[in-house]
Amino acid sequence: MMMEYFEQLEDGLRKAIASGQASPRKIYSLEVARLGKRLYSGTNRVAWCGITAPFDLLGAMGITSCFVEFIGAMLASTGAAGEFIEATEHIGYSSDSCSYHRAVTGAAIKGLMPEPEFLIGTTNPCSGGLAVIENLAAHFKKKLFVLHVPQDESGKNVRYFADQLRDMTAFITDVTGITPDPEKLKMAMTNTNRTRSILAEIYDLARGLPSPVTSKELSNFGIVMALFLGTEEAVNVAEAYRDEFKHRLAAGATGRPKEKFRLLWIQNRIQFKNPIEKLLEDEFGARIVIDELNDITWDPIDLDDIYGGLARRSISIPFNGTIEKRVSHLRKLAKAYQVDGAVNPCNWGCRQGTGARGLIEDGLKEIGVPVLNLEVDCVDSRKFTEGQFRTRLEAFVEMMESRK
Amino acid sequence: MYYLGIDIGSLSSDAVLIDRDETVLATSVVPTGARNQEAIERATNEVLQKSGLTKDRLAAIVSTGYGRNRVTDRLCAVTEITCHAKGILAFYPQTRVLIDIGGQDSKVILLDADGKVTDFAMNDKCAAGTGRFLEAMARALQVDIDEMGELDKGAQAGLTISSMCTVFAESEVVSLIANGTPVKEIVNGLNRSIASRTVSLVKRVASDLNGYAVAMSGGVARNNGVVRAISEALGGVSVLVPELPDTVGAMGAALIAKERSGG
Repeated sequence: MMMEYFEQLEDGLRKAIASGQASPRKIYSLEVARLGKRLYSGTNRVAWCGITAPFDLLGAMGITSCFVEFIGAMLASTGAAGEFIEATEHIGYSSDSCSYHRAVTGAAIKGLMPEPEFLIGTTNPCSGGLAVIENLAAHFKKKLFVLHVPQDESGKNVRYFADQLRDMTAFITDVTGITPDPEKLKMAMTNTNRTRSILAEIYDLARGLPSPVTSKELSNFGIVMALFLGTEEAVNVAEAYRDEFKHRLAAGATGRPKEKFRLLWIQNRIQFKNPIEKLLEDEFGARIVIDELNDITWDPIDLDDIYGGLARRSISIPFNGTIEKRVSHLRKLAKAYQVDGAVNPCNWGCRQGTGARGLIEDGLKEIGVPVLNLEVDCVDSRKFTEGQFRTRLEAFVEMMESRK
Repeated sequence: MYYLGIDIGSLSSDAVLIDRDETVLATSVVPTGARNQEAIERATNEVLQKSGLTKDRLAAIVSTGYGRNRVTDRLCAVTEITCHAKGILAFYPQTRVLIDIGGQDSKVILLDADGKVTDFAMNDKCAAGTGRFLEAMARALQVDIDEMGELDKGAQAGLTISSMCTVFAESEVVSLIANGTPVKEIVNGLNRSIASRTVSLVKRVASDLNGYAVAMSGGVARNNGVVRAISEALGGVSVLVPELPDTVGAMGAALIAKERSGG
């Protein structure tokens, strides 16, 4: 089912791009489809990972790697997540737990998760994700290496984590017999740095007043681009966005003609088909110009200290460490993008989403940015009622309007 | 010129007709039922009939409520949050915190000194503590919902309805009835359960009431027992309730109709 889905997706996107209907989002989605195909081909070496794993390092060693939540999101986007979520509940999981993780677990139960060669768990951003990886390791009877991500970027912590990454590499060699090729590793890091630099340009362009970006174009972008880092394809995707945004700005065009309100989207988007972005833009004149995870929080990787650079990168992600650090990052984004408000979907069962809700709201309100807290399951469409969301979004827009 | 505000809620559809001086000429509250189009017509016809006017005398119609986009000849549709905020100021201009409990939503709206909405919070995930909740409980108790407001008089206020879900709360009520618990104690427990949820919403938008005037709108505000329980849960703060709390949203819509049509 999933292989067929990714093949059809790739085919449709290739045809659209070849017929002159290329867009940055299509070029990006093509890479998503290709990653899906590699995961499900049965011929590639696959590793299921946590979100903060070094995918470029794994790629340089010839491993197709991916964070497990990607599958939860994909199942949601196909509209099929429900039956997998139910399968997980049938074996005793609480319906209040994260549905990204219940969908992935259900996929494994129903034989829809490709068998990995090994697994790399990460203690950040959440223990639920690590539990899924541990369950998958038991399910597939495969070896697991867990990266313990320190919460602060001190020199000592960077050295500690860099050593873990070296141990992880040795673990992979032990399991697969593959040793990292220094030249391939340098090439991958060079691509990572090139992509990083272009991503920084993209985010800089997106800050424009009005912004050249539409609400949908950069949804899930930062987190998924991490999977392509180290490759030439990542550079191509990033260049496509940068060139398109530059072109729009030069032509005086924006993502959408109306930009009454600029919004910051906190955490991840809703993964199943839903009308929120369209409602925001078409009916309310509000546009999502920045997502929490669409930011560069790390320095270029020093080719003479690759493991140190990768360690600093993993530690730097906004979800790691104290909520104070996360709030400070959100405030920085809110100011840089001059947003009128922020939307926090507070994904059900996600402690990242709900646990920090009050502190995030207070932190943004202090700088004059109102926050709309939604109660949404970002993967399980069965819990979505359009009327309820419409009222909350519309009322939020009316409130912002009265403040103008 | 005349202005019509119409609020199509999940339980009732309410209409308010005002003139250019913002004087209320007529109000109407009809059950929404399964066909909201019919309810819209009934509510509209009722206020026109009461005021002796015909539809062509209406300068503008503004709709609100969950069925707001079903009103075809509207000037615009505005959310309940904005309309209730606008409407309550017509009754109590000093209002800074408005509690609105309708059929399927409960919400708390924070207003600034100029009457602008600065924050709001709505019930999460389910309709527990709303009009639907009360309806289900009245059914379980076999009492008329309109009488419920007085049924807790003389209760000792020691009973807690702890279930967080309407269905579970209903079965809790059924068990209490079976155990011979007096109705007044059960009703009191239900009122305090709603009050506890409502105060959580109040605290989300105003952690300290700081002397703010608190008002209440929506059909549930007709239930004196709930209003009393909310007042107690807020530490004895007096809760202002207009005579026809159901029509506050429609009143706000009528005022917006006048404002936006240049009346």
